[in-house]
Amino acid sequence: MNDLVISDAVQQLNRAVGLIVPDVIVLATVCLMFFAAPFLVSERGEAPAGLRHRWGWLSLLSLLVAGYVWWGTSPQPVTTGPFRLDELTWFIRGVSLAFGAVLVLLTWNQADDARSAETQACLLSIIAGVNLVAAANDLVGIFIALELISVPTYLFLLLPRRDAPAQEATMKYFLLSIFSSGMLLFGMSYLYGSVGSTNLEAIYAALTAGRAHPMPILLVVAVMMMVAGLAFRLTAVPFHFYAPDVFQGAPNAAAAMLSFVPKVAGFVALYRVLAVPVEALDHWSLAQFSEPLLWWLAVLSMFVGNLLALLQTDIRRMLAFSSVSHAGYMLVGFVVGTATTGGPTGFEALLFYLVVYGAMTLGAFAVLGVLQRPDRRMESIEDLSGLSRNQPAIALLLTLFLFSLTGLPPTAGFLGKLNLFLAAWGTGSESGHWLAIWLAVNATIGAWYYLRVIGTMYLQPAPMAVTATDSNATPSYLAMGLCAIATLGLFAVPGWLWALIQHV
Amino acid sequence: MSVLVVLILLPLVAAVLMLLLDAQATPVRARWSALLATLATVGVSLAVASQYTALPKINAKDHGKPISPRMELRHDWLTLAPSTPAGVPTKFEFYLGVDGISVAMILLTTVLCVSAVLVSWTAITDRAAEFYAALLILETGLLGVFCSFDLLLFYVFFEFTLIPLFFLVGIWGGPLRKYAAGKFFIYTLGGSLITLLGLISLSLMVHQETGLATPFSIPDLAQTLLHHRLPLVVQTTLFLMIAAGFMVKVPLFPFHTWLPLAHVEAPTAGSVLLAGVLLKLGSYGFLRLLLPMLPDACRTIGTPLIATLSVIGIIYGSLCALAQNDIKKLVAYSSVAHLGFCMLGLFALNVEGITGGVLQMINHGLSTGALFCLVGMFYERYHTRQLSELGGLATRLPRLGVLMVFTVFASIGLPGLNGFVGEVLALAGMFKVDMLYSALGALGVVLGAWYLLGVLQKAFFGPVQLPHSHDGHDEDVPDLNAREVLALAPLLALCLYLGLFPQTLIELIRPDVEGVAYVYQVTSHHDVKVVVGEMQP
Repeated sequence: MNDLVISDAVQQLNRAVGLIVPDVIVLATVCLMFFAAPFLVSERGEAPAGLRHRWGWLSLLSLLVAGYVWWGTSPQPVTTGPFRLDELTWFIRGVSLAFGAVLVLLTWNQADDARSAETQACLLSIIAGVNLVAAANDLVGIFIALELISVPTYLFLLLPRRDAPAQEATMKYFLLSIFSSGMLLFGMSYLYGSVGSTNLEAIYAALTAGRAHPMPILLVVAVMMMVAGLAFRLTAVPFHFYAPDVFQGAPNAAAAMLSFVPKVAGFVALYRVLAVPVEALDHWSLAQFSEPLLWWLAVLSMFVGNLLALLQTDIRRMLAFSSVSHAGYMLVGFVVGTATTGGPTGFEALLFYLVVYGAMTLGAFAVLGVLQRPDRRMESIEDLSGLSRNQPAIALLLTLFLFSLTGLPPTAGFLGKLNLFLAAWGTGSESGHWLAIWLAVNATIGAWYYLRVIGTMYLQPAPMAVTATDSNATPSYLAMGLCAIATLGLFAVPGWLWALIQHV
Repeated sequence: MSVLVVLILLPLVAAVLMLLLDAQATPVRARWSALLATLATVGVSLAVASQYTALPKINAKDHGKPISPRMELRHDWLTLAPSTPAGVPTKFEFYLGVDGISVAMILLTTVLCVSAVLVSWTAITDRAAEFYAALLILETGLLGVFCSFDLLLFYVFFEFTLIPLFFLVGIWGGPLRKYAAGKFFIYTLGGSLITLLGLISLSLMVHQETGLATPFSIPDLAQTLLHHRLPLVVQTTLFLMIAAGFMVKVPLFPFHTWLPLAHVEAPTAGSVLLAGVLLKLGSYGFLRLLLPMLPDACRTIGTPLIATLSVIGIIYGSLCALAQNDIKKLVAYSSVAHLGFCMLGLFALNVEGITGGVLQMINHGLSTGALFCLVGMFYERYHTRQLSELGGLATRLPRLGVLMVFTVFASIGLPGLNGFVGEVLALAGMFKVDMLYSALGALGVVLGAWYLLGVLQKAFFGPVQLPHSHDGHDEDVPDLNAREVLALAPLLALCLYLGLFPQTLIELIRPDVEGVAYVYQVTSHHDVKVVVGEMQP
């Protein structure tokens, strides 16, 4: 009898682990790196020169193996186990592994030899965390996976450059992140309280059956708190306060990571808790509470992000506010959801935009990472003056990414915004039309500050030459190239990505 | 590979090669490469034209299609599966083709690009390779617009032209170039985003109501809308949205403020292409999208609104031109007036008017392009464009004087030169619809003669007066050289040819103009039927 129970439990465990093999591989690499790294560094903190290359290769290898395994997996029917492998999980895992590789390239030379193992390990565990957010089938699982992103992020922000701005950035991020986790947990506890389970499938079933109806106020509190907690990850207004300071102070790769990865995790988590795909009801069940909330979040994020970005002089702060506004664009897709009558659904448009946004924002940060002034780090937009003369190729690439962020053809950013337009307009409802109109207005406002950067690069003379770092930048150039290919390629041949998304 | 793909990609490939292989090229190498590329493109465009004219003509009435592109090339771009199982997928396509109107515009574009390279020959020495690359990329964008028969592809090229022009104005422009480039960019981008919203809602609406699988294909959309007419309120809303971007681009009266600024600051080549082709994207958009697709809105709101704005533009633009001291700004304001004639013709909504409008598009491209070339040429010599500082140039520079007189006559619309036929047809078309617009528009012809002849009188005839910087050593200012004459010759030859034999061009565009006018014949018949039906229940 006991044997049976045990073997049954082992079987269940095996089944559960079978759904997250790629993430296990990545996490195993993390453990290996944390374990082995101290033995390769002397007591005075010196490491053999070039050690970071080995850690870099190891990280890439681990992502590659995980990616190979991922490609072999296929979506499984969802049960009530701890993990799920539905189409969304599969898709998000592919996205996070692919962009994880780009981030590994960006991080390659950020930390010195002695600390690169820990830095890369933090990055890998962040990537595994994103995968697990998508794979979790339980509120607790989602929360733990989100913490698997947050906790290494604190280290990742500080490790490569332990100076005062980085410390300030880390501290700010740490405090606000803890706060948002608290709100998320609070909301989840109310959701648990009203439906009596933490398992997502059980929650969906309970909501469909109307078991939470006697106390709707509990659900309202739950939804509001969870949205607030997750909006922090999305950098949606009014939970965006940390973004400009953190982006400005953090090392370049960390800022790049923060502009993209938490958004992926945040949107997936938001989808899991809010977008209950109930066939019978044929609409989003918690949406009646969350939709007005998210509508305002979307509009506020777009306007605040874009208007404040207009005022920035520091390029990373500008990109931070641009990241806020892009969170707003993507929230448009989320709000629209499946309520479209023609064209793509909002969620499809959101996923497409997420991938495109990853390519263009990581590309832009990759460019900023290789630029240096002789006397100090490249910081203000003015520092880019005359870049087109000194570094024509790099200036051209940054122009490409900025035009893509603006949403101009021939870049993928255009198709991304177009799909959001189509989705928002396709709702046929007044609120959807307004979203589309605000999106258009904001795309125009946004054009102004991206254009200012381009203008600085091309139309200004160069007072002090900004140069590209001469050595050690190969991985960054590679990352730039990959992002540029993605940005142009997804414009010309978007069909394959779209086919993948429409399976979700 | 289709000749259209070659046509569109040739300048782009040349530009990319120039940037990749020879980014530090000397101005000499860069300009010769650019000249070769533009000449090759002219060759390809002639091939397109000859292939097109060899095709048998299509009569719109026979198979009921308002827009029938030839030499089609369709290739899937993105297919959006339906969100509901019962739905029909939405398709974006790479849909290229040409009809008579686009062939005419393509020829205009490629010829003007050669002139644009030739007038930049010595003016551009700084970052020459990048300059010519931007010019060629702009050419690709413009040719793309005229070959696109998919709404989205059309919009992509339409929007894309902003980027190279932004750099052309912003890097190689005059003292206020940064401000001018920024204003031009944001202004037109803002307008065209509203257009995009309008286009999207039009397609989605047709897709939902009729289940048309290719709601972004311009010919399919036009044909569907011919039989399935949207309610007037919807049409009006869509008309105003889609027209927003085009009204900025044309530019119609209250939306024209970016134009004089951009024109004055742009380098000569930029002004030539801006006036010659880019402004036509607006009127081409009206002609290609709004006229065939939203007939009721065009009739009920389009004609009064656009014609009023055009008439205001004609008179106001002419008066502004009269008041200018800067010749380049004067020509820029004259563009506002001339494009007013073009729009007046298009919104007459009959064969004469539309023919006149299209003719005006070509004519204005040739004559104003040539005017900007000439202004650039004497600016290079005297470093001023102020009318008050110049006088009697014709005696100093006889060749420049002769060509200037010729171009001004073409631009005024002297019989025997190209402008005449277009203006007469456009005004005659409008006359059938509303005499008042036509009469007020004709006033603009007089005003046009006044300010342009004023330029001739002040700067080219009368007592010799040279700018202060040239006091005493005016002998060393050379007259036009062979290269400059060559830059102008094709434009002026075409002005003369189209003035003497306008029938060539009219025949080229006739089937397509009739196709658009056919929409208005059919839809007015419908009105009659509906009324009759209501009267005998």
